[in-house]
Amino acid sequence: MLEVRDLDLAHVGVVLAETDTPTASAVDEPPAVTSEKVSPVQALSDASRAYGEIGETSSEPRWGMAVDTERCIGCWSCAVICKSENDIPLGMWWNRILTDGDELDTPRVGEFGGLELDWVPLACQHCDDPPCMKVCPTSATYVGEGGLVEVHQEDCIGCRYCMAACPYGVRVFNWGEPDHALPFDHGMVEPRPIGSVEKCTMCVHRLREGQVPSCVWSCPAQARIFGDLNDPEGELVRTIEARGGHRLLEDKGTEPKVHYLEPRRRRPL
Amino acid sequence: MSVTPGVRPLDVRHAITDVGRRGRLWYLVLGAGLGIGVVAFGYQWWNGLGVTGLSNTISWGMYIITFMFLVGVSAGGLIVVAGSELVGSRRFEPLTKLAVIVSGTAIAAAALSILPDLGRPQLAWKMLWQPHWTSPLIWDVLVITLYLSIAVIDLWILTRPEPRPGAMRTLAFIALPAAVLVHSVTAWIFGLLVARPFWNTALLAPMFVSSALVSGTALLILVAEVVDRTSDWDPPDRVFPDLGKLMIWFLGVDAFLLFAEILTTYASRVPDHVKQLNVLLLGRLAPVFWVEVILGVVVPFAIYASRLRQQRRWVVIAAALALLGVFFKRINIVMTSMFLPLVGLAPGIPGGRPGQGFRPDPIYVPTAIEWGILIGVASFVALLITLGVRAFVIPRRSAGG
Repeated sequence: MLEVRDLDLAHVGVVLAETDTPTASAVDEPPAVTSEKVSPVQALSDASRAYGEIGETSSEPRWGMAVDTERCIGCWSCAVICKSENDIPLGMWWNRILTDGDELDTPRVGEFGGLELDWVPLACQHCDDPPCMKVCPTSATYVGEGGLVEVHQEDCIGCRYCMAACPYGVRVFNWGEPDHALPFDHGMVEPRPIGSVEKCTMCVHRLREGQVPSCVWSCPAQARIFGDLNDPEGELVRTIEARGGHRLLEDKGTEPKVHYLEPRRRRPL
Repeated sequence: MSVTPGVRPLDVRHAITDVGRRGRLWYLVLGAGLGIGVVAFGYQWWNGLGVTGLSNTISWGMYIITFMFLVGVSAGGLIVVAGSELVGSRRFEPLTKLAVIVSGTAIAAAALSILPDLGRPQLAWKMLWQPHWTSPLIWDVLVITLYLSIAVIDLWILTRPEPRPGAMRTLAFIALPAAVLVHSVTAWIFGLLVARPFWNTALLAPMFVSSALVSGTALLILVAEVVDRTSDWDPPDRVFPDLGKLMIWFLGVDAFLLFAEILTTYASRVPDHVKQLNVLLLGRLAPVFWVEVILGVVVPFAIYASRLRQQRRWVVIAAALALLGVFFKRINIVMTSMFLPLVGLAPGIPGGRPGQGFRPDPIYVPTAIEWGILIGVASFVALLITLGVRAFVIPRRSAGG
């Protein structure tokens, strides 16, 4: 254990958490935490939890997200951790990274003949006026805590009306017995039954523990900002106000809660 | 109770069972068809909808198309009967019972044919138990139930030994608006979705009503022809040209509405709408569309423009073509919207099953299971019409009729 402590893994936690809880004392003197015995797993876990904390919100949070397309590097990390976190069967994605162009791996020819590659990470937009919820015949799709659009799997009759109604094409259906890449259950949520529709939950199970959604936590480019749209002082609202940006298919009147921040400069390849 | 009192129940059973060799063979064929449908549905229920050709991109297919088509053909009979009743016309009186049987059968089959589209048919009761009133699907369930009830009550009134004269007329006041509603509400299942520009037009409901009238009268002509050929039932010859004329007028309205939709879209050039219409008129659905227009609209009109319309055979051919055209139209309506998701960036929507990958360029080919269920539904329709016709339409030798 001594060597482990020498590696100072606990300190990593402090560094990672710095953006959320900066402490003036941590800069000058070594953190007090190193004097305690902490296992590396525990240390990493603590660090990741500290990093993933939602932080301050208003009294009635309305969860939303901003995706900074300037920072997104199109690595699909968020899509993969989403599959793992939510135990999403093979052949389905709740979250995928679209390439702005005709092919997944082909850049666009931009202004002055330069090549450009941009991505649109796409998952449920958690609309304030969700078309999928309106058409659900059994209220299986509903607007739940924090304004999120969720699905009661036990009420879903599998009519797929919501899939026809969703302008974003983010809902997926369980066409058969779910098949997984790993031979064990790796998800943090209940698997969904055959014949029902599922989609991004904004990791509502993590939100309840004060943690940001997995895709936000895992983004290596920190391209996703999660927060409370009702909190004018929060990072999310301040960033959206500062950067502007757009929401997908705004003209359809669905009032999505995911905002896309435009790149401030072009990045020619 | 002057006419053949007490004969009826036994009589009906007799009419259904005493059918001769060809009749028994027909029952056997229909029974086999029904069996195929049941087995296919069972297999699908057990294994999930993955046994169909559907995917997350094209999530509605053959079942929804069949449903729309059957709701449509249920129009003809009841509207002809109720319409004539309301304007006081006796012209289609010989067809009344047949028309009601065809309508009732079609709407019952429509309700049945939607069950295989559900991922979990065992939970269908939840639509009644906890209805969500903003969903057009719930309203469709209600109005289909109403329409089916009207057909059953109509048939009951018609088969009383002494029908009360005012009853049919009273019911017609409900039947006509209900018939318009059943097509409109079915159209609004599609037409109210902002996600699908091709469906999202105010013309969709009127177009559904007009197509329904075309296919409904067309099916009535075909069934009348078949029953006339295979039984002692002998309708006056003029019902065929009369029904045919009605059908061709409906077809005119239907073609006009389609033209209005196409003109508006191309003239106003809303990008989403134009893109979808291009798929239909020039793209991958073009073969189906032009078959629909040429066989289903142009040829019937050509028949009616010529002297051929005076021959009963050509009236029947025109009806068959119009019916086929409307079925193709149903395919086009569903597929056009499904082919083009609004967010169409690469790599597209995940197919939904292992190894399927993403589907930027979706295809949909119905599988044997889907065809099997379709055969089952078609056999159900044919069987119910056969039983209805044998029991209530064909004059009974045993009753001395």
